[in-house]
Amino acid sequence: MAELGRAALLVTLGLAVYALVAGAAAAYLGRRRLALSAQNALTAASFSTLVASGVLLAALVRSDFSFSYVARTTSEALPLQYKISAFWGGQEGSLLFWLAILTACGALAVRLNRAWARDLIVWAVPVFAAVAVFFSFLVVVVASPFATQAAPLDGAGMTPSLQNPYMLAHPIFLYLGYVGLTVPFAFALGSLLSGRVDERWLVATRRWTLFAWAALGIGQLLGSHWAYVEVGWGGYFAWDPVENAALMPWLAATAFLHSVMIQEKRGMLRVWNILLVLLAFALALFGTFLTRSGILNSIHSFTQSSIGPWFLAFIALTVAVSLTLLFRRLPQLRSPTRLESPVSREAAFLYNNLLLLALCLTILWGVVYPILSEAVRGEAVVLGRAYYDFFLRIFGLPLLLLMGIGPLIAWRRASLQSLLTTFRWPTLVALVSGVVLLTLGAGSSIPGLIAYTFAAFVLTTIVLEFARGTRARMALGAGSWSGAFFSLLTRNRRRYGGYVVHASIVILAVGIAGSSAFDSVAEARLTRGDSMSIGDYTLVYQSLDERVASNATEIRATLGVSRGDRDLGTLEAGKNAYTVEAQLSNEVGIRSDLLTGEDLFVIAEQVDPDGTVYFRVFVKPLVNLIWIAGFVFVLGSLIALWPNAREQRRLIQRSSEIGLPATR
Amino acid sequence: MARQASPARLVIALSVAGLLAIFLLYTSIAGDANPSIAPSDLRNRTEKVQLAGVVLGPIRGDAHAAGLRFVLRDMGGDRRTGVPVRYSGSVPDLFKVGRQIVVVGRLRQGVFVAEPGSMITKCPSKYAPKQSGDPA
Amino acid sequence: MTLALVLAALLAVVCVVAVAFPFIREPEPESDSLHDLNDDERRRLELLEERDRALAALKELEFDHRTGTISDEDYRALLGPLRRDAANALRALEPDRAGTPPDKPETREGRPTGGRT
Repeated sequence: MAELGRAALLVTLGLAVYALVAGAAAAYLGRRRLALSAQNALTAASFSTLVASGVLLAALVRSDFSFSYVARTTSEALPLQYKISAFWGGQEGSLLFWLAILTACGALAVRLNRAWARDLIVWAVPVFAAVAVFFSFLVVVVASPFATQAAPLDGAGMTPSLQNPYMLAHPIFLYLGYVGLTVPFAFALGSLLSGRVDERWLVATRRWTLFAWAALGIGQLLGSHWAYVEVGWGGYFAWDPVENAALMPWLAATAFLHSVMIQEKRGMLRVWNILLVLLAFALALFGTFLTRSGILNSIHSFTQSSIGPWFLAFIALTVAVSLTLLFRRLPQLRSPTRLESPVSREAAFLYNNLLLLALCLTILWGVVYPILSEAVRGEAVVLGRAYYDFFLRIFGLPLLLLMGIGPLIAWRRASLQSLLTTFRWPTLVALVSGVVLLTLGAGSSIPGLIAYTFAAFVLTTIVLEFARGTRARMALGAGSWSGAFFSLLTRNRRRYGGYVVHASIVILAVGIAGSSAFDSVAEARLTRGDSMSIGDYTLVYQSLDERVASNATEIRATLGVSRGDRDLGTLEAGKNAYTVEAQLSNEVGIRSDLLTGEDLFVIAEQVDPDGTVYFRVFVKPLVNLIWIAGFVFVLGSLIALWPNAREQRRLIQRSSEIGLPATR
Repeated sequence: MARQASPARLVIALSVAGLLAIFLLYTSIAGDANPSIAPSDLRNRTEKVQLAGVVLGPIRGDAHAAGLRFVLRDMGGDRRTGVPVRYSGSVPDLFKVGRQIVVVGRLRQGVFVAEPGSMITKCPSKYAPKQSGDPA
Repeated sequence: MTLALVLAALLAVVCVVAVAFPFIREPEPESDSLHDLNDDERRRLELLEERDRALAALKELEFDHRTGTISDEDYRALLGPLRRDAANALRALEPDRAGTPPDKPETREGRPTGGRT
């Protein structure tokens, strides 16, 4: 069936080229039927890509090793779910996966916005098509997933560390995020091309951006949790280039989601918003380039391959074309209003944007520094953890504080007097909690203490906002507290969903501060019966067992854990020796305290033949808040994402008021 | 941003100045930047560097006692490019002869002494077939 | 092998039909031109956006004042300009309904209508 896959991809490439050429011609010449035909080509391309994906999936599931991709990434004995995950695991498959999401998103975004932004869509179609041409070219010519060979008896199998459930979800979310950022990019470019620089491109893509951004966030959290639980080095984020590659577009998209509001409410920052969308998209491409080119030393290294230069060329082309267009439209993008006061909500958003962008660019600088220094000095210089940690504190802490300040300042301008009254309670709560924490000994890490204090401030403002809003809704005639609360949420989902997301970021910040600034570590070599202590935990090394599982030998040390006088049961830590792959993997023991969110994290670093074990033990306070933050994040994003029928009606009405036909 | 209002200009000017100040601050106090070099480039350099290479056996010693001892050669180089390395601290799962690794440390009396816990292994490839006979 | 080729051919045919569909459905349409906004309509769209923006801002200000997030003093200072914006946009839209463009000094003339760059 490889022929079908190859043919389907050829059809996709043809359709994408057609959509690009016909779409551009239709938009330029103003031909209605041709424009419709180009839109249909985009939809048909998503269908034929789906067919190609189906062929590859079927081959993976059936273990058809005549597909060299299948033979390289899976083996006969691999469980079904990992045969499926191999689809996006290898390079060729992941490019196909990207193309499938891209064409589906493009076709869907075009359909959904047809009712009221048709003149914009005419220009967005060729942009989608151009990106699709690039990716389908890659899978047709450069890295085909449908290369065949004489079928070997068994495939090469999959690295053990990837054989776990996280790999089913983590890459999907990241790809959804990366690719989803194409939608705002295509519409932004479409608005520049068409000269429709009104706010409709923002409205058309707001939910898409939010969706891509949420997916990217969830993907990263899943990756962190995987690193924490499965990789077992005692951390969850290492500022590795590949991790940074996902973080950067997320930061740029975060900035965009905020600055969009200034344009919607005040008509300002039009150029800035287009630049942010361009940056987010370019960084998403850059992220793929980083992971696929093997240009940097990374813990995650994928197959090094020849697609790197293609990506660089495409990124360069994208940026050059977009900036040229932007420059040509500058006169139309002048904002009708201006910033009235440096103390206003739009100003707060502006500070937030600058900080986010500064953080994003310093990370980018850190990532490319080895390449740049190699080019300039002939020697790659690598920036270490301290560089990133430093800038995370410098830019991250003010950002945290701004999350609490922004929502309480009026648009346009706020008087200092009224600020004093609005900020009375949050400031008081923050100061009190700061002092309390200081007396409890949190002064051992000043950044940690600051983070806690700011977190208290922001949480207070969020709670106050919800309480005041609910009370006002009650006064406006909502029956019960719950009814008032619900109507508050539904009437302004973006705002209150946004607050929930803010709350999740605060929880995340507290978790990060707690587990990185106030953690402790101990290590010791123990023989059976020995004990070690860390904090108020005592661990006794009780026994060492060896079990034989289907594909690995599991060596486990059992430790008795107690805290003070209380017996907390036992914990197992050890190693798996994978026989076929000839690999060892750490299997850590984690005991989570559900009440305090603290983890006891045990690594059996080295198991000696005589049964002595070298243990490394961490106590990580509040680390579980990071994972809880993930759930709150999803909740907030869903609230903000939920479709708003009233808004849709207003948009359609607006376009019919100027006589833009709604259909066709 | 064409024709910005004065407060916006002020904000941007201030933030640029702030950024600059922070960079100066950073370079003066932190500075966790190490050159990344291959073993054969080490020669007599004694400053702190990041060494990236391929592990040559035999691996001797105990990472949690006197330290592991092995040789690191250039990627794509032969045995002659090797430098003896001493390393202690946690050893990544994937560490073995033939693997690409990165360690941070400095050269002392002909032996590269790595900082405890600085080792990072690079999987040669995640999903690729086994490399045919990586010279070890 | 042959089955795969047949399926591939089928897929290609389906896609070609989908692409050609707008031409098949309307072999001889009354008009094949895209409705393009002229300067006048574009100006109205901008005004409509301004109107909606001002009305939404008024609503939000009202609610924020009610909740106590915005003080009486700030509320009074902000209400006037917002009302004026809304009124201006509404007034500018009025003559448009009669079909005459608003008499605004900043009406830009001679701007190209397409993205002919």
